Amino acid sequence: MDFDVVRLLIPLAGIPAAIFLIVVLVRRRR
Amino acid sequence: MDGDELVRDYLGRLEAASWPLPPDRRAELASEVREHIEAALAEAGRRDPVTIHNVLERLGRPEEIVATEADAEPLATRFTDELGRRMPASVRSWGAIEIAAILLLTVGAFALPLVGPAMGMVLLWLSKVWTTREKLVATLIVLIIFVLPIIGLLAVEGRAGTGS
Repeated sequence: MDFDVVRLLIPLAGIPAAIFLIVVLVRRRR
Repeated sequence: MDGDELVRDYLGRLEAASWPLPPDRRAELASEVREHIEAALAEAGRRDPVTIHNVLERLGRPEEIVATEADAEPLATRFTDELGRRMPASVRSWGAIEIAAILLLTVGAFALPLVGPAMGMVLLWLSKVWTTREKLVATLIVLIIFVLPIIGLLAVEGRAGTGS
């Protein structure tokens, strides 16, 4: 695994978690 | 699946689907539905699987029963937290902490690599909107995606170290 790829992946770690949290809130409000 | 198992399975689904209701209403609903099933079976005079299946089918899907109940509940008392306490509807909606947590986990990851998502995680755990389970899932998602690249990086470094 290339170091640049790792550096790109680390900031992206929060995005799937954020999507999960948004989906939880949106589904709950329906 | 015999008749009693059908009833147990149905009541289990009802219990699982009724999480949005307050605990007292949940128990009341389960009891009402159980009584209704028993009354219908007594009226039918039989307890064979086909009769039970027909009775349950007439009742409708447990999820539909709960949805009807949830609509009848005032919004402020509709949700409960993981300890079963009632939570006002305002606590379940978006606030400054939630928006900041989402922004730090997404945009913050580019503006402040590592620090941004870390602050987002702190705000996530401070928020009262998400349940502990939801917070744990989000934390695990972040940790897994953090850990995988680090393991990959270490593997590359290890290989480079042994290769030279």
